[in-house]
Amino acid sequence: MVSPHGIQFAAHLISSFYGELCSKVCECLLRRGTLTLAQIIQSTELSRENVINCLRVLIHQNCVQAFAVQREGAFGEAPRIVTQYMALFNNIIHKLRAPKFMQIVSEELGKDGLMQHGRLSLKRIIDRNEQTAGSSDIHVVRESFIRLLNARFIERCPAPEPFLAPPAEDEAPAKRRGAKSAKIAEPKTTEQRALAAAAPMESMRFLMEMDDLPEKNDDESSDSVTHRKKRKQDVLKSDEDVLDANDKKEVLWRVNFEELVRRLRTKACISYVKTKINDEAGIVLSAILDLSGRPESRQKAEKTAYLSMNAIYDEVIKKEGGLGMDFERIRVSLDQLGCETLSTGLDESYSIGTHLSSFSYFNAVVESVVLRRYGREAYRVFRLLSKAGRFLETDKISDSTFVEKKDAIKILYKLWKDDYLHMEKVVSSGARQSLFLVWRVNKQTLWEQVLDEMYHAALNLRLRIAHEQDRGKEVLQLPREKLVGELEKKYKLLGKVRVILESSLMNLDEAIMLFHDF
Amino acid sequence: MSRSLVSPSSLKRKRPETQLPGLVDAEHAILNLIKSKKDLGIWTREIKLETKLADNVVTKSVKSLLAKGLIKEVVNIQNKAKKTYMAVEFEPSKEISGGEWYNNGELDKQLIDALKLVCFRYMRMQKVATLEGVHNEIKKNGVVTFDISSQQIGEILNSMVLDNDIIEVKSTGLGDYYSIPIGKTCYRVAGGAGVAKGPRMGAFATIPCGACPRISFCTSDGVISPSTCVYYTKWLGIDF
Repeated sequence: MVSPHGIQFAAHLISSFYGELCSKVCECLLRRGTLTLAQIIQSTELSRENVINCLRVLIHQNCVQAFAVQREGAFGEAPRIVTQYMALFNNIIHKLRAPKFMQIVSEELGKDGLMQHGRLSLKRIIDRNEQTAGSSDIHVVRESFIRLLNARFIERCPAPEPFLAPPAEDEAPAKRRGAKSAKIAEPKTTEQRALAAAAPMESMRFLMEMDDLPEKNDDESSDSVTHRKKRKQDVLKSDEDVLDANDKKEVLWRVNFEELVRRLRTKACISYVKTKINDEAGIVLSAILDLSGRPESRQKAEKTAYLSMNAIYDEVIKKEGGLGMDFERIRVSLDQLGCETLSTGLDESYSIGTHLSSFSYFNAVVESVVLRRYGREAYRVFRLLSKAGRFLETDKISDSTFVEKKDAIKILYKLWKDDYLHMEKVVSSGARQSLFLVWRVNKQTLWEQVLDEMYHAALNLRLRIAHEQDRGKEVLQLPREKLVGELEKKYKLLGKVRVILESSLMNLDEAIMLFHDF
Repeated sequence: MSRSLVSPSSLKRKRPETQLPGLVDAEHAILNLIKSKKDLGIWTREIKLETKLADNVVTKSVKSLLAKGLIKEVVNIQNKAKKTYMAVEFEPSKEISGGEWYNNGELDKQLIDALKLVCFRYMRMQKVATLEGVHNEIKKNGVVTFDISSQQIGEILNSMVLDNDIIEVKSTGLGDYYSIPIGKTCYRVAGGAGVAKGPRMGAFATIPCGACPRISFCTSDGVISPSTCVYYTKWLGIDF
C-alpha cells in the first residue's frame, strides 16, 4: 500500500498533467486498490464515459495496468472473466522526473520525442517525426530508434490485458514443506502476478523485429486475447472501449523507466560517495559499477560480481582523475567503500554492494532530519539508538550521550510521539519493583514514516510554487517594458523564489528516488 | 581518623622504628598527615597549619615526597586553586573529583567540550588515532589536572562518534593505519560530510518541511498549509 501523502502527491501530479477527472480516477485506484470499471464508476461518482476516457489516458501514459481475472459465478452460473485496473504508483511519480530522463537520453543520444507520448508504435514515431521535422528519412528515424533500444531507454509495452489464471492447486504443498521453502516461494499478490504476466519476456523486451509491418504481441497476451474474445464477448464489450483495439495489433514501445532510474541512481550513488568519503572512492566505485554492467534480470543485484584488482585498476586509470592512482590507493578506497575481499591463491578479488543502503544513505537522511528538527542532543540520542539496533534504557541513553537525564526523557518522548522511536515499559521483578522505559529505532516503520514525510514535502513544494505563481501573476503577465522600479524588483523576486522552490523540488525528488530504493 | 601532632622538639629525635628509609622527620610527619586525610586530600595551607612547620620546610618536604612518588597532586573540583595533595594509594572522592562527569549535580559541559576539542585537534593532526594515543595526549597536554582514566576518554570519544565529528574504524594496517595492528579500533576525523550536507543528503532537511515541528498538522488547505506557511515565507525571503 502506498503511504497517505504518497497518494496525495501522485493524485496531484496526475491532476497537473492530465486534469482533475483523471486525478480522481487515479486517486480512487490508489486508495482502494485494484478495481473493476463498475467499482471505479461507483466510487468516483463520475459518468461511465468520463471514467472510460480517463482510464484510456492513464493506460496510455503507463499509469494504470489492466488485467483479466476469472471470477466464480454465483448460484450455478458459469465463471466470468472481469477486467480489473491497478494504478502504477512508481510510474506516476516518474512523471516528475521526465526532464531529468530527457536530459540523460539527450546527453547520450540526442533529442527524442518518445518521452512525452506515453506509448507509440514505430510507425507512429516515424509519422510524428515527419510532422515535426518535415520530410525525413525513415532510416534516420529507425537508426535513432535502434540506438534508444540498444541503450535500453525504451522497451516493449506490457500486454494491455493479460489473463491471470486462478491460483493453481499445487501451491498448497509448497507451504506444507516447511518454513524454509515457504520463504523462497512467497505467495505473490494479485497485482504482482498481473505485472509479471503483463511484462514481455526478457528476451523480447528490447527486441525489434526487422520488418516494418505491424507485429503480433508476444505469445502469452495474444493467446489471452483470442481466448478471451472467444469466451465472453458481451461482458467484455465495455472494457474493449477502454482498451483500444488497434493497440493490440501493433507493437507499442514506451520509456523504460527502470533503465533511467538505474542510471540516475548510479550517478547519485557515485556523487554521494564522493561527498561522504572522497573523490578517489567515487572514482573507484564508478569503475566497479562500469565493469559490472547492468544486472541481467529484473531483480536488482545487491552486490557486484567479484572483480580482480587488475581489472579494477585498468578501469580506474581511464577515469578522469584516476590516472594517478595505484594499487595501494585503490585498496584504501575499496576498504573505505566496505567491499568484500576474496583471496584465491595469489589473487584477490573484490565485490561491492550496489545499493545505497550499503553506504548508509538511509541513516544519513534520517539523521539530518532529526538534527534539524529536534536539535543536536536529539541527534546523538537518535544515532545511539540507531546504531544499537535494540532497546536501550533511559539512563543508559543519557549516560552514553552526555545528555542530562531530564532532557533525555523529553527528547525521547518527542521522538516517540512523532513515530521515530518505539517505546516499551519494563517492570523489573524482584524485591523492589521499578518501572523502566526502554526505547528503540525500528528501521522499517521509520523508513515508511520518513518517506511519507518526503512525499508530503514534495507536494508542499509544488503547491507553494503554484501559490507563488498565482500571487505574482499580475506582475508576470506584464510586458517587459513595464517592469521598472518596484515592479521590476517584484518580478526579480518572483524569479528567485521560483528557482529556489523548483531546484529544491528537483533535489528532493532525487532524494525520494534514492530513499525509496532502501 | 587520628591526626598525629608532631611537636618541634620531637623532630630532633630520630625514631628509627617508624621512619621510612630516606625520609627526614618533617617529610615523615607531613606524609602521615596527608595519609590520614585519605581520599579527601589536604591542601598546602592546611598542612602548614596542622604541622606548624615553617613554609619553606613544608614546600621542600612536599616536593620531596612528590619526587619520591609517595604523594600526588589532585584537583579539587570545588576549588581548583587549592593545591590538594593525597597519598598515592587513594583515589579522590566524589566530592573532590566531582564524580566522573557530574559537577555539583550538573553535567560538566565545559569539561566535556574542552576534552572533545583536545581530542579533535590531536586526531586532526594524527589523521588516525587509537584510544591509547588520545589518552596519552590528554595526560601529556595537561588540560585536565585530575587523573583521567582510559575508560573516561573512551566515553568522550564515543560521544564524538555520536556527534559525527569523528568516525570509528578498524585498522587495515595499510596506508594511514600502517603503525596500528590490523583489526584494532581507532578513530579518525569524519571529513567533509560529517552531517548530511549538500543537495543529495540534505535535500529534505534543508527545506522548511524537513525541519518543521508541525508537519503532521500540515494539510494542503488547512490552517497550516504550504500556501500560508510562515517558515516558507521566511526561507524564501519574501515580505511583500
